[in-house]
Amino acid sequence: MTALARVVGLRRDFGDTRAVDGVDLDVASGEVVGLLGANGAGKTTLIRMLLGLLPPTAGHVELLGGPPSPAARRHLGYVPQGLGLYADLTVQENLAFQAAAFGVAPARLDDDLCAAVDTVVGDLSLGVRRRVAFAAALGHAPRLLVLDEPTSGVGPLGRSELWDTIHDTVDDGAGVLVTTHYMDEAEQCDRLVVLSRGRVVAAGTVAEVVGDDMVVEVVADDVAAALARLEGAGLVALPAGRRVRVIATSPTSVRAVLGPDATLEEVPATLEEAFIAAVGHDRAAA
Amino acid sequence: MWAMVLKEMRQVRRDRRTLAMMVVLPVLLLVVFGYAARFDVAEIRVVPVGDQVASAAQQLPEPFTVLAATDDDPVDVLRRGDADVAIALEGGTPTAHVDGSELFTAQASQQAFAGIAAAGGPSIDVVVEFNPDLETSAVLVPGLGGLILVFVGSLITSLGVVRERQAGTLEQLAVMPLRASDVFVGKVAPYFVVASVDLVVVLGVGSWLFGVPFNGNPAWLAIGSLLFLFTALGIGVLISTVSDNQGQAIQLALMTVLPQVLLSGLIFPLSSMAAGVRWIGYLLPLTWFNVLARGVMLKDAPLSALALPLGVLALMAVVVSTLAVWRFNTELRPAGPGDTDLDPARRQDVPAEVTS
Repeated sequence: MTALARVVGLRRDFGDTRAVDGVDLDVASGEVVGLLGANGAGKTTLIRMLLGLLPPTAGHVELLGGPPSPAARRHLGYVPQGLGLYADLTVQENLAFQAAAFGVAPARLDDDLCAAVDTVVGDLSLGVRRRVAFAAALGHAPRLLVLDEPTSGVGPLGRSELWDTIHDTVDDGAGVLVTTHYMDEAEQCDRLVVLSRGRVVAAGTVAEVVGDDMVVEVVADDVAAALARLEGAGLVALPAGRRVRVIATSPTSVRAVLGPDATLEEVPATLEEAFIAAVGHDRAAA
Repeated sequence: MWAMVLKEMRQVRRDRRTLAMMVVLPVLLLVVFGYAARFDVAEIRVVPVGDQVASAAQQLPEPFTVLAATDDDPVDVLRRGDADVAIALEGGTPTAHVDGSELFTAQASQQAFAGIAAAGGPSIDVVVEFNPDLETSAVLVPGLGGLILVFVGSLITSLGVVRERQAGTLEQLAVMPLRASDVFVGKVAPYFVVASVDLVVVLGVGSWLFGVPFNGNPAWLAIGSLLFLFTALGIGVLISTVSDNQGQAIQLALMTVLPQVLLSGLIFPLSSMAAGVRWIGYLLPLTWFNVLARGVMLKDAPLSALALPLGVLALMAVVVSTLAVWRFNTELRPAGPGDTDLDPARRQDVPAEVTS
């Protein structure tokens, strides 16, 4: 597969703060690469350097086979967190502007969006605005689609529809780079790059990121009390129905807190638990 | 209440540029305008027409400054802007033709000639050219047209890029295959049309309501207006690219508009200003538009007299437009590893980057 975007050893400092620290990443056509990270992990900074919106302090950026350039941008679709739409223009006017800038015909809209073509974007719900932003970004059939938290603030149904669009785009041969902190969305990506404090702490498919991580699942009559005791001992524990799942630890450590009679077993970690474990390890090492 | 006061003070303290403007600007304005706000005329340039009056004209007291004599038509001398007063011998009587487009200079000339006669000196007929009744409106309306263009051009346009940056759409523009010049022209074109209509309306209504004459060639005024408008719009865009928010943009725009109101010769004569302040005036576009508009509308000035204001306006338009496109280019061009210093126009990204 051809690399549509590639960054090598990318670094960005803001004064004494290192926002991105030696990141390697590539996106090929026909795949969805997810950038996963907590707030402040450096996802947006990384994307903005990739697009040429922000100069890197060090490292190498390649967009569609060369450095970010106006020519490369012609094949790029970008939906920023703020959506990049003109709130005082109608849907049709926004789409017409984007299409004219890229020298293509205005994007076709789904039937339900057609009803809103003459509505000023500022009057639309966030979910509809995001769909319009998608339509605008896809109007010129980009080879690379970059989405910065595209489903933030959108309900489950809207998120599902937006992900359908992402998969359709990939099926048409484009590559997609998407940032998210929703685990169910991350699981829809072909590959993940997990960032913490600007560094890659895990990368690969979902299965590779989870790897052989295990969690200790505790059966507890009083979940709240068990959680309090585990967290009091400095362990990371999440409630799961009548059970508590303890991340990045061993059964021995859990028994040391809850007593030798605690009912527990080791089970495979979920992506979210593997993510928490990876980020937790990185922060503990800081 | 104290919490509110404290919060506001912290916000003001953090906005360093606004704070600096609030402290430095009043002092600066006081000094500059103190030297500019003078109605008294320090010098009246006189050109004697014909040898017969040349030697007699040398006897004229201050504030007259007598220049080299000429044989040209005295009105043409004024039309070219070579003098404020041209004295000729007409029918055996010395006649002073006074340039009525320079209101205070013309009034001072009338008073000075009356004073000479009252002191027992020669009696000189005074003829006020171009604006015989010395109407204030005739002098102000041409320049006011330019002032409207400054307001529309600089003040309103200055908000354009800031608004894009605050709405997050500038980032979207930056990833589109648009050239900096495309964005510049796109930004200024609508205001260009509106301001052009404004100019025609202001000059038309001004002429109709106040009887301001239009004696010259409208083509020269049209060309000059286009150049002036391009400069004003370019200044607005430039302000927009260096401002972090709309408040800063308005403050900076006012800093360019106010000096043009007071130092361009629109209200106070340039000749009355201290030399340093006058040179500030020469750097302002409205100064040259004012010279051009008065020259065309009131004096029917020849192209040779209009060449300087037209040339200066053209130079200003090129310089300002180039700077504006360059600034746009730094905002929109793809950033590379060599661009390690954050462009000031992008500095508002820093907190968002670090915290997102």
